[in-house]
Amino acid sequence: MSTLIIYFLGAFVRYWLITSEYQNVIAERIEISTPLNSWKRVTEGLHLLKLGIYPYAGDSLHESPLNLLAFNCLVKIFGEYLHIVFVVCDLLTSHLLYMSAKKYMEQIRKTQERNKANYAADAKDLLLTDKDFALSPIYVCVVYLFNLYTIFNCVGMTTTVFGNLFTALFLMALNYGSLFAALPLAIVISQSFYPILLLSPLFLHFVVTRKSYIKAGAAVVLCVMFWSIITYLCYRIYDRWDFVENTYGFILTVPDLRPNIGLFWYFFIEMFEHFRSLFIYSFQINVTILYLIPLSIRFRQDPMLLATSLLSLTAIFKSYPCLGDIGFVLSLYPCWKHLFNYIQQGFLVSCCFLVTTILGPTVWYLWIYSGSANANFYFGVTLAFATAQIFLITDILFSYTKREFSLIYGRIRKLNSKKAQLMLE
Amino acid sequence: MKALLTLLAISSTAAHCTSDSFTEELFIKPLYTEHIYSHFHFSTIWNTDLFSEKFRHTHLFPRALGEIIKRHNVQELHLSLTAGLWRYETWGYPVTSAAPGAELWAWFKSDTEDVNSNWKDLASSLSGLICASFNFIDSSNSVSPQYSFWPNGVINEQKVNSSFLRYSSLPREIVCTENLTPWKKLLPCESKKGLASLLNSGYIHNTRYHSLSIHFRPICRDPKCKFTSIEVQQSVDLVYDYLILGSRNWSVRKLFGQGILGPCPLAKSSTVYVDVSSNSTFPFQLSPEPHEFVYSSRGGYESKFAKYEITEQPLALAANYIDKPSVVINSPPALHANQYLTGYGQELGGIVTKLFNNHWNTLDVVVLQNIPWYVPIYLHTLKILSNGVVLEPLSLKYIPGKLRERPYYLEIVLTLPPRSTTLISINFEHVFLKWTEYPPDASHGFYISSSVISSLLPLARNYTGLPQDATMIVDSFNKSGYGYLVQVRTEAMVVTLPTPDFSMPYNVICLACTVVALAFGPLHNITTKRLVLKPDNKEGLVGKIKQKLDVIKSKLTGTKEKSEDSSSK
Repeated sequence: MSTLIIYFLGAFVRYWLITSEYQNVIAERIEISTPLNSWKRVTEGLHLLKLGIYPYAGDSLHESPLNLLAFNCLVKIFGEYLHIVFVVCDLLTSHLLYMSAKKYMEQIRKTQERNKANYAADAKDLLLTDKDFALSPIYVCVVYLFNLYTIFNCVGMTTTVFGNLFTALFLMALNYGSLFAALPLAIVISQSFYPILLLSPLFLHFVVTRKSYIKAGAAVVLCVMFWSIITYLCYRIYDRWDFVENTYGFILTVPDLRPNIGLFWYFFIEMFEHFRSLFIYSFQINVTILYLIPLSIRFRQDPMLLATSLLSLTAIFKSYPCLGDIGFVLSLYPCWKHLFNYIQQGFLVSCCFLVTTILGPTVWYLWIYSGSANANFYFGVTLAFATAQIFLITDILFSYTKREFSLIYGRIRKLNSKKAQLMLE
Repeated sequence: MKALLTLLAISSTAAHCTSDSFTEELFIKPLYTEHIYSHFHFSTIWNTDLFSEKFRHTHLFPRALGEIIKRHNVQELHLSLTAGLWRYETWGYPVTSAAPGAELWAWFKSDTEDVNSNWKDLASSLSGLICASFNFIDSSNSVSPQYSFWPNGVINEQKVNSSFLRYSSLPREIVCTENLTPWKKLLPCESKKGLASLLNSGYIHNTRYHSLSIHFRPICRDPKCKFTSIEVQQSVDLVYDYLILGSRNWSVRKLFGQGILGPCPLAKSSTVYVDVSSNSTFPFQLSPEPHEFVYSSRGGYESKFAKYEITEQPLALAANYIDKPSVVINSPPALHANQYLTGYGQELGGIVTKLFNNHWNTLDVVVLQNIPWYVPIYLHTLKILSNGVVLEPLSLKYIPGKLRERPYYLEIVLTLPPRSTTLISINFEHVFLKWTEYPPDASHGFYISSSVISSLLPLARNYTGLPQDATMIVDSFNKSGYGYLVQVRTEAMVVTLPTPDFSMPYNVICLACTVVALAFGPLHNITTKRLVLKPDNKEGLVGKIKQKLDVIKSKLTGTKEKSEDSSSK
């Protein structure tokens, strides 16, 4: 009953905002709509399609042709009531996250039962109780439904809403150990490319929890196959390949330097021309393969944590990040509610989130509308925002390792009855 | 033998003399407001075929221009350099209309292989020829309009293929003496003799509006069009303000600083026309008396011109107004237009083109907009409202632009309702450029070129334009036709794009990389190191201070002991 009320409230807030006069203002915010996900650009693409103009001739549209076709169907079917689709999709996402969190908590419970014998005597307090197992999924759902970032993302009618839906579907299928996870993953890869990193948790899940290399390999092959099929279908729609330049090419080469909450825009506005390609390569390597292998090795036992940390790092470092990506990752963190005790910079990070969320639109207004600030102000805010997110994810990963240590070696930090300190070496 | 050679030489020069001709005309028209319009028209016709002519030797035709035309495979060329804005609403239509700044459009021959590279090279050559910044023209600011520009001259093909047409304008271009001097050098007499000697930069830049133009095209040699000739028309349009002149009474000396001293000896005819149609409402006295009056009935409107043939006798043409100035109600021409920007801030904006149809009947117009790539427009926001009612375009051509590569090309064909005001609005976003892409004065803003509104007017009220087959102004007298082509150019606009802090590149690179490093450090630690318990060596701040003090103390006491030792020795 209470969960129903939560869903209802979440839907109400979204519906109220999306039908209000603020919808336009929210949809135009650069923090919410980037060139990649703005509905305005999809509308433009559909309009060009209607006039018989090839939509990828210009550079306003960065959705794949298949997505454009799907949006065209959506617009045709729902017409004026299109905003309801966004609200429903967002609710669906929250429910899928709830389901995946529930399944994940079950896995944790199983692991805990299995390893209980190895745990230190004084680590009993650290074990998760039934209450924890029951609460975490609800928290995940509540955070997704009532997180300002996701609400605004939905109200702004960005295509990230659909991206989040398929990512949530992928996470659920992953936790249920279904090979079906490959399909939603292929869809999100075709939309925003960076989720290609999630192939690693997909592979590891089947290796670690299902102990099956064949299934793991099959999952990856399936995903790549689905992706190829999607790409081929995209090609078949117009029999032209130049959509690749407008989708993946656009994501990777970052030609549009419109500000967003990421690190790319000001960096590449101010870049010296002869270093541009060097830094584009290094920034893209930073977000794609730099952390992939180390994290995959270190957290191979917990593919869900691995997936979350990869999602979080891409949300911070990708070329066109938006609040919807960050809201999605934030709503996954309550799965590790039991780690929050170990978090060292919780206060700093929450203050940072609060301040940057308020300061961002303020300095944007000062810069763009009243002309009394300049680009550096907004850049500073995005830097602080990125730093806060980095602190949060690294803190959670640290906490995870600390808890692992405490479970096995106990909570008392003493070495030969002398005071000792826990250090990385 | 000698006699034969001389004879040959004479006959060859004679052949050349008959094969080309040059005419010069000056047309002066008092405008209904506080302005006077003067138009210089120089045209050269050369009876030679454009396709076979090599431009190795020319007589009256400007060879420098001919070489460029040959080299870049040009079929037709139109360029203008303009300062100021022609006020259609009060001034009527000019003889040749031009957009503020520099404007260039050219048709290439249909056998041209690479039109884009020819276009760029042509623009660069012209920039050298008349010292203007045409070299900034390339495919990133040029369009190929399908409806607005048609070949003015003869074409070989039955069908017109607009892929051989390029149009571009540079609204920021400033026109000055440095353009006038090379422009005058293209004339047979340069500025030494004839009407061109009136073009003194000190006077003609003291105007409300001045425009230099060159129009080159192939034309028919005879009515059957069995042979073709080539023609170049050079014109200067000037609008003087009575306020700047000091009085309404004008004279050639007041306008140009000197009287007319004689014709260009190479010119076939050298004439001055003064439009005296307004003489009935604003009587003025011309002195000396004109040689003859020419009456013209065109498109339902009667005009009267005073004609002066220029002879070796100096001519001091002047007009004296008889009445005191009176207020007159302006009757605007059938079609005129404005353009402006909407919105505030540097995030979102809109472009509005306002078309006025003052005619009692509907008017078909073509609106061409060449919107630069740094003003990305959204076609789905295009709204056409005529007197508040949505108007459906008859045809719409749109090629979306591409960042740093191609402008947004929009051409709309509309039927304007009678006596209506039509608003065409479209929204755009401000782009953020790389720091090196901003001009030195970044806050000055970026220009959006004027849109071109073309229409065939059924009546020739306030119309002075030349018909398509005309070479001289005199050809336009008594020349009624099916329609009167007008091309109204609107204002150019300036949009200020948001700027980065230009002094920051190093700081930005350092700061952004620091944030990346902030992630790299901890993640590297977590993934490559393991947790171990280490003996705690820290004793807190007080302990540390105590330790330090102990060290100092021991040192001090040690030295004391040492000094005691040395003293005892």
